[in-house]
Amino acid sequence: MAHNELILTDVTKRFGGLTAVDSLSMKVETGQIYGVIGPNGAGKTTIFNCITGIYRSEEGSVNWNGEEIRGMTPYQIVDRGIVRTFQTIRLFSQMSVAENVVSGRHIKSSQRWWHGICPTVGSRRDEYDNWMKVKELLEFFNLDEFAATPVSSLPYGHQRRVEMARAMAVDPTLLILDEPAAGLNDKETAELVETIFSIRDKGVTVLLIEHDMELVMKVTDYLTVLNFGKKIAEGTPDEIQKNPLVIEAYLGSEDDDE
Amino acid sequence: MKKLSVAGISIFLMVMAVLPHFLDSRWQAVAITFVIFSVVALSQDIILGKAGMFNMGQAMFFGMGAYATAILNSHYNWPLLATIPVAILVPVCVGILLAAPIVHLRGDYLLVVTIGFNIVFIQVLVNNLGGVTGGPNGIFGLEYLSIFGHELRSQVAVYYLAFAVLLLTLAIMLNLEKSKVGRALHYLREDPLAAESIGINTKLYKIFAFALGAGIAGLAGMVYATQYSAVSPEGFEFIQSVLFFSIVLVGGSSIPGVLLGVFVMFVLPEIFREFSTWRFFVFGFAMILTMILRPRGIWPATFGKIPKYMIKEKSHGA
Repeated sequence: MAHNELILTDVTKRFGGLTAVDSLSMKVETGQIYGVIGPNGAGKTTIFNCITGIYRSEEGSVNWNGEEIRGMTPYQIVDRGIVRTFQTIRLFSQMSVAENVVSGRHIKSSQRWWHGICPTVGSRRDEYDNWMKVKELLEFFNLDEFAATPVSSLPYGHQRRVEMARAMAVDPTLLILDEPAAGLNDKETAELVETIFSIRDKGVTVLLIEHDMELVMKVTDYLTVLNFGKKIAEGTPDEIQKNPLVIEAYLGSEDDDE
Repeated sequence: MKKLSVAGISIFLMVMAVLPHFLDSRWQAVAITFVIFSVVALSQDIILGKAGMFNMGQAMFFGMGAYATAILNSHYNWPLLATIPVAILVPVCVGILLAAPIVHLRGDYLLVVTIGFNIVFIQVLVNNLGGVTGGPNGIFGLEYLSIFGHELRSQVAVYYLAFAVLLLTLAIMLNLEKSKVGRALHYLREDPLAAESIGINTKLYKIFAFALGAGIAGLAGMVYATQYSAVSPEGFEFIQSVLFFSIVLVGGSSIPGVLLGVFVMFVLPEIFREFSTWRFFVFGFAMILTMILRPRGIWPATFGKIPKYMIKEKSHGA
């Protein structure tokens, strides 16, 4: 329990004169579904980028399982079990669904670079195992009939699922979802809630950004609320809903309620 | 569809395997040139088509292999076949050294830098660096191929050497498709950030693509030096790189497409000798037409190469 924790301490990220994230601290524990919410431009995605190594924060520490991961490259961080999805879906659009998902197996695969030139019995077996894992995931995400379909021809909701399947192919211990419900209809959102719960039941910690308050309040165990790069509140969904600061900053003060 | 392409490839290879016995020596030479340039174009396809890096210096790696063979044979009396490892390793090492600092450049910036490398390479050759490159005239009078002391003077022997290199290249390319390395190249071409975020060391694989492409081109260079028993700087000018680049673009970065491109560019001018000065005109026109009519190439690479057992039974719909 003491392990598999993500601890952010005083993380600060600046872009020129703008402080996008201002000494943020938070702690994600094993098995949690952790939410980060805040108005547009509050720095939520920037934090995710700092955790996953796309940005390097100027100050502070990002600690994962007792190891400092600030300053590592994205693939090194993936290797330590942290995988993310993107707010704007970033799939390999010309490739089929199965090929997209198998990209997640890349880092777990035992093949070395020379196997691309000269295959061995071991690499063939590894290849087979990878595809089997993909098959399993496609079934889990209800995508198996689209295995050979190019992703760009799938509807938006399906593409979201492909992206999650790709992330799950890495066998992550921490899954980071950047606005997973954006662009989904009600039915798809309801399915997403189920999916997030079943991912958690597999023993994966989930960290998510979301604008859909109903979804956030339903799925998360713990929340951090940001505004202008600063943490203004944290707590369980119930506590957050009652917090006057949050209501003012995020949900709008009572005066301008319609 | 799959059966069709398997049949197509086997017919092509069978024709190529018996081809030299039906040709006179001039056409044998054309056939050898076709095979050599096909190998170089396929190696360019690994860098440009698969990994999506705008490399405009492929003729440099080709030339390095050719010059490695020529120098070792003429100055140090190595048998031609013994120079093969060097002809591969020199371009690979140079490719890694040159690519490592530049692969993070995007698109056209990389293109400009590789043009620069190609021009520097030609200058080095022309200025006879170290007194071994023979200056603007190059090196001529290489030995014949020999195996265990037997001299193979016939062009057919060179043809089969070239053909073996082509087979090896095709085998590597088909293999890449079925390995995580080959897929990694596709991923980093489609979306480098997504690839990096899913655990792919994009820089490493970009350098790998350069090294592999350079090694294959170097091997083709060795065959080229053997065929002409001479090398000179103008064979590896920047304009040659442009040709290989446009062949991959026009062909559509699939194996049949690239072979078709090489055929149009190097064999058709031989068939229509009197029009051979028109070839850049014709090819330029072909490029414009392709861009308009088939923006992804005459024979675009297909994706969706997944094993059969992944495709669900067709019980409900396709």
